[in-house]
Order: sequence, then structure tokens, then C-alpha cells
Amino acid sequence: MRPETQQTDADIVRAVLAGDHERYAVLVERYRDRYARYAARMLGSLDAAEDAVQDAFVRAFDQLAQCKEPDKFVGWFFLILRNRCYAERRRSKAQAPLEAADSLPAVDRTDGGAETAERRRALQHALLELTPDQREVFVLKHVEGLSYGQIAERLNTSVPSLKMRMHRAYDRLREQLREHK
Amino acid sequence: MSDHDFHPRVKQLLDGDLTLADLPPELRAEGEEALRLLAAVDRRPVAFPTMTERVMLAVNTRPSPAGWRRMLEPREIRLRIRPWVLAPALALAAALIIWIAGPRTAAPAPSLVTVRFVLVAPEAKAVSLAGTFNQWDARATPLVRTGPNGTWTATLTLPAGQHQYAFVVDGVRWVPDPGAPAVDDGFGRRNSVLTL
Repeated sequence: MRPETQQTDADIVRAVLAGDHERYAVLVERYRDRYARYAARMLGSLDAAEDAVQDAFVRAFDQLAQCKEPDKFVGWFFLILRNRCYAERRRSKAQAPLEAADSLPAVDRTDGGAETAERRRALQHALLELTPDQREVFVLKHVEGLSYGQIAERLNTSVPSLKMRMHRAYDRLREQLREHK
Repeated sequence: MSDHDFHPRVKQLLDGDLTLADLPPELRAEGEEALRLLAAVDRRPVAFPTMTERVMLAVNTRPSPAGWRRMLEPREIRLRIRPWVLAPALALAAALIIWIAGPRTAAPAPSLVTVRFVLVAPEAKAVSLAGTFNQWDARATPLVRTGPNGTWTATLTLPAGQHQYAFVVDGVRWVPDPGAPAVDDGFGRRNSVLTL
């Protein structure tokens, strides 16, 4: 057997489906932090993001047999997490509008001090005012650092439509940030 | 274009296709404003160090995912018509599911069953279905309002096997089917169970 670090996602998915449930921990360990930041920025709340990521991993386990291409587990998992984030945001917005950004750790004294923290907080508030589609493309490009081409592949859409969404997001963010001043 | 809109060239700057030096002088100030926006993006990593333990704790109390695979394997489905008329629940007057037809084609696995989901929710502005069959995407399967009394319907063709689902009313209320068997989803909600 190969060491865990060398096992492909497909190896692990097949092992879990064959009954070795403990191997699922390798997948969780491998991807939990990669998607933690995406969820945190999409939801504006670390607690909500942690719940969403955990929930997505458990749902992915339940539905693992439906992962048609085990070597593409991570893309499949991302779509489950994405849907959870969308649903969670709709739910939390209905229940507690605009409280979320405050629960992100905005002050990091080793990283620019109060002014940087305030700018980050203002931008995170503004991000939460975007539509989920606009927020997502902004997060994937400017937080996660993906190119338009990579985002288009991940979301199964076209680069021109992503750019249109993003350019609306820029205008909306500018408006929100000006109102915040 | 409102006065909040960035100039198209400044949007190219934000996209990384241009640098500030590429902008004409009259757009420099706007370009600097745009770059300040990007400078405020929080790219610090986020970590959930106890995530693995929590997920494995939850996973170890659940049935094997291979069980789902067995249920989705091809099997013969007979034509069935079995309406459920359900009791009132909250604003939801009734819900019913009808098996419309058995396997649609003679094609190989998996066997497919066409099912109509019906929810009577007179006060609802929108109703959709989220379930294992659409990755719990509350936007993927909207129901259509088909009558003046608030009847919402959607017809789906699903693989034979067991599916979990819930109705999503007005995009925010996740409501289990009041007449279908339900299971705890492990996160404080009840999922309805449909076995085809």
C-alpha cells in the first residue's frame, strides 16, 4: 500500500466505498483548509463556514457512491460545499442580516494594524451585499487566486459570463464602500 | 452607467489585464481607488484544525456509502401509481407524491422512475426541491405553481433507489414532506425519504 500522502483521491474513494471508512479522514485532512477560506469569505462568518465545510464533508461521504469520477473528488466536493454555502447564506440572511462579517477576525496586529483591519472589514461587509454569484466569482479570483479560465472550468460556465458578473461586482463594491465611508 | 461604475479600463486593471501605468492620466486616480479595493482583500488562510475529528465522528455514525451504491444499482421497477394525500402542516395544506411511470426506456441501468412532487402551500412565493438527487441545491429544482389554490408541482425522473429530500419554501424554509418518512440528517433537520 502506498503511504497516505501518495494515495490519489481515487484510491481513497474506492477504499472508503469498499468499507474502509477511516481512510476518509485522509481526504478531509487534504482539503479541509483549502476550502475553509472560500467558505469563510462566502459566508462572512467562521462559525458558519466551519459548519458548512463539516456538513459538506459528511454529505460527500453519504453520497460518495455517486461520485462518478473518483479522481475528480475535489471538484465534486467543491460543488457540494458551494451549494451548502449558497443555502446557508440565504438562511442566515433571512434570520440575521448583516451580522456575519463582524464575526470574522478583522484585527491582526501582525498584519497592518487597525487601518488594514478596518478596510478588510468594510470590504467583507460590501462582499456580503453582492449577489452570491457575484461574491463567488470575486472570492475565487481575488481571494483564492484562480484565473477566469480555472473558475469557468470549476463552475462549468463561460469566461465572458464570469467577467460580466465580476464587473458588476466591482461596481457594486465601489458603491458599497463609498456608502460605508 | 452610474457614477459608481468603474471605467472599463479600470476594470481591466482590476482583472489584472492592465497596470496602473497603462491607464491614461485622467483614470489614474480611479485606478488607485480600484487598487486600494484589492489591497483590502483578506487572503489570510483559514484553518479548522478539529474538522477531521468532527467529520469522522459524524461519519462513523452513518450508514456505509456503499449501501447507497447498492440501492442505485439497476433493478426492475414495476409500474406503480400510489398517491399520498397528506395532512395539513403549518401553511402547507398538503403534499403528495405520485409515481407516474416505471422505467421510461428499456435502457440498461439505472432503472428510472418518474415521480411528481406536489406541495400545497398557498402562502409561498416560491417552492423548490433540494435532495440527494440534485446535490442539495435549493435552486436546481423549482416547483411550478399549477393552480389558484397554491398547488406547486415538479416532475422528476430519478434513479430507482432511496433518495432524501426537503421542500424549500421561499428560499429559506427547509420543510420536510409532512407525509413522507423522515430521517434526522445529523444537523438538526429532518430529511424526507423516498424509496423508488
